[in-house]
Amino acid sequence: MTTKPKLKEKRIGLFVCHCGVNIAGVVDVGKVAEQLKDTPGVSFSTDYVYMCSDPGQQMIIDTIKEKHLDGIIVAACSPTLHEKTFQEAARLAGLNPYQIEIANIREQDSWVHTDKEKATKKAVKIVKSHVAKARQNENLDPIKVDVNRRALIIGGGVSGLQAAMDIADHGYEVILVEKNPSIGGKMIQLSETFPTLDCSQCILTPKMVEVSRHPRIKLLTYHEVDSISGFVGNFKVRIKKRPRYVDETLCNLCGECEKVCPQVVPDEFNMGLSFRKAIYLPFPQAIPGTYTLDAENCLGLNPVRCGKCKDVCDKKAIDYDMKETITEEEVGAVVVATGYDLYTMQALGEYGGEKYDDVVNGLEFERILSASGPTGGEIRRPSDGKVPRSIVFVQCSGSRDSEKHLPYCSKICCMYTAKHAMMYRHRVPDGQATVFYIDVRTGGKSFDEFYMRTVEEDKVLYIRGKVSKIFKEGDKLIVWGVDTLTGKKVEIEADMVVLAMAMVKADGVQDLLKKLKIATDIHGFLAEAHPKLRPVESLNAGFYLAGCAHGPKDIPETVAQASAAAAKVGDLFAQKELVHEPTVVPVNDELCSGCGICLTMCPYTARTLDPARGVVVVNEILCEGCGACAAACPSGAAQQRNQTDDQIFSMLRAMLRD
Amino acid sequence: MKVHYYPGCTLKQKTTALDISTREALKRLDVELVEPEGWTCCGAEYPLTEEKIAGLAAPIRTLRQVRDEGGDILVTTCSFCFAVLKRADRALQDDPLKHKRVNAYLRDDIQIDPLTKARTTGFEDYNGEVKVLHLLEFLRDRVGYPRIRERIKRDLEGLAIAPYYGCRVLRPREEMAVDDPESPRLFEEFLEAVGCGAVDYPFKQECCGSYLSVSLPAAATEASYRVLRSARMNGAKAVAVTCPLCFYNMDHRQDAIKEAYLDFPGLPVVYFTQLLAWALGVDRSVLGLGEHRVPADGLFLEIPATEVRT
Repeated sequence: MTTKPKLKEKRIGLFVCHCGVNIAGVVDVGKVAEQLKDTPGVSFSTDYVYMCSDPGQQMIIDTIKEKHLDGIIVAACSPTLHEKTFQEAARLAGLNPYQIEIANIREQDSWVHTDKEKATKKAVKIVKSHVAKARQNENLDPIKVDVNRRALIIGGGVSGLQAAMDIADHGYEVILVEKNPSIGGKMIQLSETFPTLDCSQCILTPKMVEVSRHPRIKLLTYHEVDSISGFVGNFKVRIKKRPRYVDETLCNLCGECEKVCPQVVPDEFNMGLSFRKAIYLPFPQAIPGTYTLDAENCLGLNPVRCGKCKDVCDKKAIDYDMKETITEEEVGAVVVATGYDLYTMQALGEYGGEKYDDVVNGLEFERILSASGPTGGEIRRPSDGKVPRSIVFVQCSGSRDSEKHLPYCSKICCMYTAKHAMMYRHRVPDGQATVFYIDVRTGGKSFDEFYMRTVEEDKVLYIRGKVSKIFKEGDKLIVWGVDTLTGKKVEIEADMVVLAMAMVKADGVQDLLKKLKIATDIHGFLAEAHPKLRPVESLNAGFYLAGCAHGPKDIPETVAQASAAAAKVGDLFAQKELVHEPTVVPVNDELCSGCGICLTMCPYTARTLDPARGVVVVNEILCEGCGACAAACPSGAAQQRNQTDDQIFSMLRAMLRD
Repeated sequence: MKVHYYPGCTLKQKTTALDISTREALKRLDVELVEPEGWTCCGAEYPLTEEKIAGLAAPIRTLRQVRDEGGDILVTTCSFCFAVLKRADRALQDDPLKHKRVNAYLRDDIQIDPLTKARTTGFEDYNGEVKVLHLLEFLRDRVGYPRIRERIKRDLEGLAIAPYYGCRVLRPREEMAVDDPESPRLFEEFLEAVGCGAVDYPFKQECCGSYLSVSLPAAATEASYRVLRSARMNGAKAVAVTCPLCFYNMDHRQDAIKEAYLDFPGLPVVYFTQLLAWALGVDRSVLGLGEHRVPADGLFLEIPATEVRT
């Protein structure tokens, strides 16, 4: 140990809290205050029934002023509960808030012990260690930083669109990045929406148009976020522009290029149930309204090899020489609205979706129902175009099966399956609709009424039980299941099967999320900062969550969450400047050897090696003060403010001395 | 390659075709099969159906013997033996109490040489040192399909075979961990390596009726019928099985099936090892074809298989 610098002795005040009987029931609080009275540094000591109450706080404020205290120890509950409260009290009394020290004698003492004498002894030791630390606490000032009042939205589905609109309407600039040629997301693929049966396209396209025309929204479709660096309020975003090979300002949607294109590929918008050309408009209401040339399926972007589309384009909009470009933007907040995917047919081998065309997932059935779909809204099965006389709907395909598939409920399938069955019965009145379910979950406004209509008015047969296997025999699909209400096995011949597939994390954005180091849950959905009290914020400061990227949810909930995320972005942008905790870990240049061990420890990429000077430099805004680097630093160059090695060793000595 | 091989009692008694064809085929793949000395019956399901520690002693004793002979894998062709050996092994690894008690039983095997006082057998507790492999797994993972393809002597192209897994090879999924039980590829890939066509049909993992053959024959008849019918409907010329009980239910019971289901014209049932041995050039006289109740000779003719009609 190095010799300790001579300190001007502090005037520390000790306030021991009873917390009703929570502490006082086990710890003799009076004795604690009494025993600590004469500890070096302590110049005042008392106990009180509720320190966090108004009179309790007032007592602290008055005593600070009266006794000229320059350090405070509150022996009470965990600092996660009331550290802020007492810091604020200190500030009101004119004392630096970082002179407040919380000794936890509740969670770490009275709540876990019953022996009064030993618990009291432990409380004394805990408080003593904090006295030792408090003697060396320094005055600290919060780190302040400016806010860039522009927001980035990743994802142009309904959640991204809603968040973009709201933030832009608050008066801030927005950059909306969408990977696909058009905005609209999954919602634009849906036919009708439960429980009102309004047409999905009809309610979404006005919002899409609004977003595209909003003066404060910069819409970047066919773009991808490549990386984000920086910190809350000051992010730098690299955005990759995928070459569309069609100049969107020139394209007038005449459609001549599509007619001459020889390359036919499955149409993603119709879930592969129909075909499109290599140069295509994703759907008639696509925004931006421009053709896109999909280079992967084009014969070669080369006039020698094909070049037909370029020849017929009057507007000269087609340019084979477009290249991928990268642009940089600066924003203060990021809303992640990257959506979801459906569980794959391959994962559910027993249902045969991979082998049989007539086993489709919910989204495919939406396209079959949709007026703009491959069958023009007539219900026809994919294999031979026949109108199915019997359809079996399987709820919880992959959901709620912790043994073999996914343990969670995908939340929307009960409602959309009821809608599917109802729409089928409306369009094929003599058709038989059968639904297999585990439970029918209809928590939502007007949801249960809708479900009851499906059962009572539209005569859909609901069987409580799971489906074990689906296979083909001749022209029919045979569905094996169980009716758990009668305890009998069920075998149904169907013309078509619709699987209500589980919703899973979106595959295409996992690399990006990893790069951004955004916290996710065990299923790969984005994790919220607190499941109840901070549901739309990420644990990563400056990132906000919206829509199904965060977990399965329906449209109303998605829109509500997007608006909430936008409001939170508004909160952030309303600050004059941001403050950051000053208890970070700076580097002592004199001691740092540039070994770089701390770089590997830092989970926040706050530390970098300055190659010129051979020492580590710290971005104090990124540092969250976890202390991992300080523990790892072999030379002691990394010292956390108000938690230095010296302080920690003095705490240990105080605790172990007797 | 030398490997421990567990035939099981059924292969020694009731259905030698599976045993003989296995030995003949593996000889041609340069695999020497060694039977663990003094192996006993695996217990045929009973070790798994009741919580009796003593029942586990039989399969574990065999596994310990393999270990003591210096082996680390044990190959078996009978699906039942495979399931019992593998699951008994797993049961000991998952449950420390079972491990302790079974090994305590087996300590009675220890024999001490009266002169030198040295222990001669049953040296140490069995701690899961032996990996139990089904022959299909062994062929896939240890022998490798390329070697099979190299050694093929007869062209079986166009011979449409329905692979039948039955219940024992794939399930329970976590314990057997051989392949995805819902859409397996193990047997199909084997048939393709041998040169046959693998018929895809939905009943490949459904039950043949198993022991209901004894207590409720009509149920076994129906179950086997559904498998055979589905295989036939999907164009199979024969069903290939891995298990003597499946063979019994589908082959020996076929007269009863035809009687109960008049529309069913019959379908030969073969062991997968018979196809392997035949493709590798083994003479048809040693394939054990005499055991078949439904004549399968038509599949094993010295003419291009594409012309075979059954």
